[in-house]
Amino acid sequence: MAGVSTINLHNPVPLSATAESSVAKTVLVGLTLVFFSLFLFLPLAVVFQEAFSKGGAAFFRAFGDPYTRHAIWLTLLVAAIAVPMNTIFGLAAAWSLTRFRFQGRWFLITLIDLPLWVSPVIGGLIYVLVFGAKGWFGHWLMDRDIRIIFAVPGIVLATVFVTFPFVARGLIPLMEAQGIQEEEAALTLGANGWQIFLRVTLPKIKWGLLYGVILCNARAMGEFGAVSVVSGHIRGKTNTLPLHIEILYNEYQFAAAFAVASLLALLALITLFLKTHAEWRAERQLHESSR
Amino acid sequence: MSITISRISKSFSRYPALNGVNLEIETGELIALLGPSGSGKTTLLRVIAGLEFPDDGGSVRFGGRDVTGLSAYKRRAGFVFQHYALFSHLNVFENIAFPFRVLPRRERPPEADIRRRVSELLGAVQLAGFEKRLPPRLSGGQRQRVAFARALAIEPEVLLLDEPFGALDARVRKDLRRWLRDFHERIKRTTLFVTHDQDEAFEVADRVVLIDKGVIQQTGTPAEVRARPVNDFVRGFLDLPPRQNIGKSFFIRNEPATARTSPPAQPLAHDTQVCAGS
Repeated sequence: MAGVSTINLHNPVPLSATAESSVAKTVLVGLTLVFFSLFLFLPLAVVFQEAFSKGGAAFFRAFGDPYTRHAIWLTLLVAAIAVPMNTIFGLAAAWSLTRFRFQGRWFLITLIDLPLWVSPVIGGLIYVLVFGAKGWFGHWLMDRDIRIIFAVPGIVLATVFVTFPFVARGLIPLMEAQGIQEEEAALTLGANGWQIFLRVTLPKIKWGLLYGVILCNARAMGEFGAVSVVSGHIRGKTNTLPLHIEILYNEYQFAAAFAVASLLALLALITLFLKTHAEWRAERQLHESSR
Repeated sequence: MSITISRISKSFSRYPALNGVNLEIETGELIALLGPSGSGKTTLLRVIAGLEFPDDGGSVRFGGRDVTGLSAYKRRAGFVFQHYALFSHLNVFENIAFPFRVLPRRERPPEADIRRRVSELLGAVQLAGFEKRLPPRLSGGQRQRVAFARALAIEPEVLLLDEPFGALDARVRKDLRRWLRDFHERIKRTTLFVTHDQDEAFEVADRVVLIDKGVIQQTGTPAEVRARPVNDFVRGFLDLPPRQNIGKSFFIRNEPATARTSPPAQPLAHDTQVCAGS
C-alpha cells in the first residue's frame, strides 16, 4: 500500500478526459467566486459592519434589552425542545424505513421531505387551523384554558414541523448504504435490540446523526415563516430571535437589529464549520464500513 | 448438538424460497448445503440461525429443544456471514469480545477471563498479535478468520457458515478449506456451511445436502451422491456449471436411492412430490 502511494506521488496525475481548457476553467471559477462574494460573503460582512456601525458599546447595549434577552431565551428553549424531538423521530424513522421492507416505504421516505417543499407559512397555518380559536380543537382548548396558538407550544409545534426532515434525511441514505449485516451479526452473538442500537448502529451512524442534528438546530433557531404565523409577535412573550430582528428593523433600530442578526449569522458560521466536519467524518465512516 | 428440521417452508413476498424442507443433522457433523444461487440454501441457513422465521407449520429443533419461535439472539448459533460482517468501528479484540460484552452482568466473565479467551481464539485462528487492528485494515482471509473466532467465542453448539470462502481468491480458498476441515476435527461442533461450489462441498463435508428451488434434492456422503445421483438436477448440477441448470424441470423421487448405503446418511422424508417451478 505504502509503495503504491509513493509511486503516485512521483507520477504527475494525468489530465482527465473531462478536463476543461484553461480559459473555460478561469471563467467558470471566476464566475463562481463573483457570485459567492456578491450573494454570500458581502451580505454577511454587511451584517457585521452594520451591527458595529454605532460602535462596540451600542452593539453590546442591544443585548442588554430585556426583550432581546427574552427572544434569545425563547429561541434556545424552542430549539432545546424541537431538536431532541426530531432527533428521536429521525432515528426512529430512519431505522424503520431502512430496516424493514413494507409497502408504501418509498412513499414515506418521500413524505418525510414534505416540510422542505411546502412554504413555511403553510407549516404555521396548519397549526392555526387545528389549534386556533376557530380551528378543530379551538373550543375544546379554550374551555380548558389551554393556549397553543400565539403561545410557546404553537411556536414549538411549527418549529418541529419545519425541522422534521433533517435528521431522518441525513440518516436514511447512510443506513441504507451500510446495510444490516453488522446488526444481524450482533443478533447472532446474543445482543438484544437496545444493545445492537447502542453498540453497533449508533457508532456507525454518529457522524451522520450529528450532521442532521446540526442542520436541524440551525433551522430551528433561524425559522421565521412558520413561527411568524403562530407566534402573534407578543414582545417578551412569543418573539423568537428572527421575529425580534424584524420588529427592531421595522422600528428603524438598525444597529440593534443588525447586532441581533449578527448573532444568527454567527450561528450560521458555526453551523457551517460543524456541518462540514461532520459531513467529512460521516463520509469517511461510510467508506470504512463499506470496505 | 443435533438439528432437526421438519416441514420448513419460507416465502418472500411472492416466490417460495423453501418448500417443505426436512433434514436431520447429527451432533458433530460437517454438512455442506450445496445448490445454485437462488436455490434457498442461504435461507435455510438463516432459518436455522433464527435470522429468518419459517412460515407456519414447520419446526426447527436443536437437540430436543424446539427453537422455532426463538429469536437469533437467544438461539446463539455461531454464524459466519458471507462478507464477515465484522464491526468496522471495533478492533479485532473487541469484535471477538463482543458476545461477552453483551452478556447480562451476572453472566459476564471477568475482564481477565475475556482477555484470555480472546487470545486463545486468536491463537486458534492464527491471528495472535492482531488484537488492535481495525477490520478495514485486514486482508479478506484474515477478516474471515476473525469472523470465525467471533462466532466461536461463546462456544456455540451449532456453527453456521454462509459461503465462508465465497469472497476469497482461489489460493486462499484452498488453504481455508483444509483449515476448516482440520478445525472441525478439533472442535467437533455441528457445522453447516452454504456453498455453490461442488468441489468445496465434496472436499470438506461429511455429508452434502443438494438444494434446488427450495427443495432438498438429495443428501448423502460425497461418495454416495457422486455414485448415485437421484435425479436430473443432481446429475446436471454435478457435471455442468450450476448456472446453466436453472429452469430445467425434474421430479423428485420419494426415496433417494443412495440414502441407506452408509451409516451417516439419513433417508429424507419428502412429504410431497414437488414439481419444479410450481
